[in-house]
Amino acid sequence: MNNDPRIKIITGHFGSGKTEISINLSRIEKEKYQKVAIVDLDVINPYFRSREVNSYFQQLGVELIAPKGELATADLPIVSGEIYRVFNDHNYRVIIDVGGDKDGATALGQYYNEIKNLDYQMYFVVNVNRPYVSTVEGIMETVRQIEVVSRLKVSALINNSNLGIETSVDDIQRGHLITEQASKELDLPILYTTISSHLRNETKDFAKEHQVLYIDRFMRLPWE
Amino acid sequence: MGKVLMKGNEVIAEAAVHAGCKYYFGYPITPQSELVAYMAKRLPEVGGLFLQAESEVAAINMVYGAASAGVRVMTSSSSPGVSLKQEGISYLVGAELPAVIINVMRGGPGLGSIQPSQSDYFQATKGGGHGDYQIPVFAPATLQEIVDLMQDAFDIADRYRTPVYILGDGMLGQMMEPVEFTERKAAELPPKDWATTGTRGDGGPKITNSLRLDPDDLEKHNNHLQEKYSKIKENEVRFENYLTEDADYIVVAYGTVSRIAKNAIKKAREKGIKVGMIRPISLWPFPEKPFYETRENVKAYLTVEMSAGQMVEDVRLAVNGYKPVHFYGRTGGMVPSQEDILAEIIKMAGGDQ
Repeated sequence: MNNDPRIKIITGHFGSGKTEISINLSRIEKEKYQKVAIVDLDVINPYFRSREVNSYFQQLGVELIAPKGELATADLPIVSGEIYRVFNDHNYRVIIDVGGDKDGATALGQYYNEIKNLDYQMYFVVNVNRPYVSTVEGIMETVRQIEVVSRLKVSALINNSNLGIETSVDDIQRGHLITEQASKELDLPILYTTISSHLRNETKDFAKEHQVLYIDRFMRLPWE
Repeated sequence: MGKVLMKGNEVIAEAAVHAGCKYYFGYPITPQSELVAYMAKRLPEVGGLFLQAESEVAAINMVYGAASAGVRVMTSSSSPGVSLKQEGISYLVGAELPAVIINVMRGGPGLGSIQPSQSDYFQATKGGGHGDYQIPVFAPATLQEIVDLMQDAFDIADRYRTPVYILGDGMLGQMMEPVEFTERKAAELPPKDWATTGTRGDGGPKITNSLRLDPDDLEKHNNHLQEKYSKIKENEVRFENYLTEDADYIVVAYGTVSRIAKNAIKKAREKGIKVGMIRPISLWPFPEKPFYETRENVKAYLTVEMSAGQMVEDVRLAVNGYKPVHFYGRTGGMVPSQEDILAEIIKMAGGDQ
């Protein structure tokens, strides 16, 4: 598996943390590449979508591809036609933030004929503390459904198991254990475990044994 | 069962299932559609029934039918959809049928926006449909609080034979927090001997109906309802006081806005302004007591809402002219910031000292 493809597609269960991971990945890509685009393909969530941090992307120099203006705050199932520009211009590094579950991934399916010939990987984000993906069976079922509607194959799992601000090292380890079992059953590698950077000290030992990507949180509530 | 990370809308749905609700009728609308989706998946797992109705009007009438049969039933919507349900809610009240109705409020009026709002306070607390009635309204501020209030809502609905509202805003519905579902002892409730589940030679037909053509009879029914409301006012008031004991000023806020206000209060205290908060949890019956207890000692109140000023009217009635009641609100889906609220507190306290 190519661990650093030009196009990274982030899928997963609803509320598994795809948007936070996508924003972080776009920041990392921007450190190495001139042209980076993040595609907000979320037609499921009405709030807390990557388009909400557009001012941050502008500051970073990352291009946001999402419905604009009044349509940005609508709950219409629309995607931006501009996505083709970054598919075809091979100078772009692309992160695609897909909506949750098979319903969100359905919006991805329309690009199958474009994507299949490009340098891409599709990741599946796991948070075992979410309902319906807390077991190996739940993860496998969601992966299967997303593959059917997107017509693309998941190439790796990302363990993003967390309990929001109450996340403990135990939660991360338990999540890793279940993701590991799912990884064996599905014959897919675990790309890494994503951990909120405020837990950097507590997770030093875990990070020695496992691939870890520390991420920052961008979707904040008005009292945070 | 340990903690899980859930969206507010999912928590409302799961908490309803834990409260023994097995019937849901509704129609999707942003920002509460996750609740509908969750129920569609969850209710068949517990042997319940989920039905997406052809409209909100149909959904509330299906609720009427299920409630008549004596089961725990729920519907949910967001502002414009709740407006559509008002006729049916008035019928539920008239026929004294228990049901739980969720409103995850969005910006209005009209179709408005899909962003969070608290501008349906009047509709919920002053009787949104026709006729003389009140409905108990509960407003959770955290996802964990939803778990408790949903159980209370179903118990109160059954105890008093009334519809009950849970009033949240889009932010509460969409945000994620860790929650734990703890089992609690079932409340002692009167038997539903009025339910239309058939007769077995044990009396006349059972009818749930809100039509009473004889005015004398209808007045008696209204008196009965008013007596019921007096009991609810006596027994079901809920609120939280935060740092009110030594407070010179009191902020009044409910739901998610109270969480923003809490941070502003902490900041104000750092600046030496003694400010506290009254957080109504039951919006009707409105908690009057904490105002009676503070209105002689504090200098002023500040009500903060995501509306043009609705709960502030109840605050003014409770303060009854003893002290000034200020208001700060944002509308249309705009959320007041900590800084805004802090600035209003400083202004109330007479400016920077």
